[in-house]
Amino acid sequence: MTLRLLLLLGAGALPAAAGAQVAPVTRSVPVTASAPPVCAIREPIVAAGGQINFRGLNGNTLQIDHLVDPHTLAAAAASVNITFDAVCNYPHRLILEAQNNGLWQTSQRPPDAPPGFAYAVPYTATIDWGVEHGRLEADAKVRRIADRSILVDHPTSGEITIRLEIDAGASNTQANAPLLAGSYGDTLRITLEPQ
Amino acid sequence: MKFVSLGLTALLAAASGAASAQSSSGLPTPFSVIGNVPVLCTAGTLTEDNGVFAVGVLVDLSTGLLRHDLSAPPKVLHGTFCTSRSTITIEATALIAQASTGTPPAGFSNSVDFTAKAEGWTPSPAVFTTSAATNPNAVQTRDTGFTGDITVSIGDFTTVGGPGLRLVEDPLYQGAVVVTLAAAN
Repeated sequence: MTLRLLLLLGAGALPAAAGAQVAPVTRSVPVTASAPPVCAIREPIVAAGGQINFRGLNGNTLQIDHLVDPHTLAAAAASVNITFDAVCNYPHRLILEAQNNGLWQTSQRPPDAPPGFAYAVPYTATIDWGVEHGRLEADAKVRRIADRSILVDHPTSGEITIRLEIDAGASNTQANAPLLAGSYGDTLRITLEPQ
Repeated sequence: MKFVSLGLTALLAAASGAASAQSSSGLPTPFSVIGNVPVLCTAGTLTEDNGVFAVGVLVDLSTGLLRHDLSAPPKVLHGTFCTSRSTITIEATALIAQASTGTPPAGFSNSVDFTAKAEGWTPSPAVFTTSAATNPNAVQTRDTGFTGDITVSIGDFTTVGGPGLRLVEDPLYQGAVVVTLAAAN
């Protein structure tokens, strides 16, 4: 009887050993990485369509074909769409800044403007960036920095589109005033930055 | 059951027979020395870099797109052994942004797939790709006992959703690789 019991115990021990054998062993290795905040803007290109009285881009310079109507010497209408491939992978702010608040004479010492003449040209810049939109009125009333800031509460990628428009007869004095001779320009700066 | 009863009977008879032989002849009693080696596997020890695949910065800082040169040093499971036929299984989960959860904005992704591989145990490595619907090569079998090192590596990173998507900013993307060794029947 004793022997029989021992044998039964032995038989019971075999499945237990088999159970230990089957238990798998594992090693888990975490994989970690990061994506830091990134904002990037590529070089501008002129978008197809809607280009009136602009010659196009030369590097980062947009050249207006004819700034004035040759018959009236008032500002001629002009418009262009330019786009920038861009990305910001976190909530951010887009700032469009016009250094001169309009097209002003580029010479350091422009002549005094006689009465009846315009000596700066206002324009508007319309911005589309993802689902956000904005508008900068460079009214040329005072030569100063003008800017427009847009808060973007989500990562955005795609194209920043800026439409520049000069109305026919636009002037910093009165509408359709003839424009004083000279070279005119402004500098637009686009910035993507943390909020 | 019936067979067991017969066996018991035979063994009892043999025991009594041996007792009588000893008392009558004085010959040494034969005895058996027995032992067994259980079927056993260990996964060894991991000695590199705190046991973490540190991939680093995922994105090209000038584009926001996934870098093409991502890598992490392989890990080695030292002193791994199995005393019998065994299977090795590898599984992995994609790198997922831990803070930027939810559906990413248009043009963005918040996860990265990769392929994990365990080599050195079986003739063909065990391979698991997190983007694959099935991973038939994730389980490999070795027919004999073995001891050695298992090298675990990761690579072939791809952005979930497509290569044109950017990754949302997040200080921690996390995934995992799990290697399992099991005795096979």
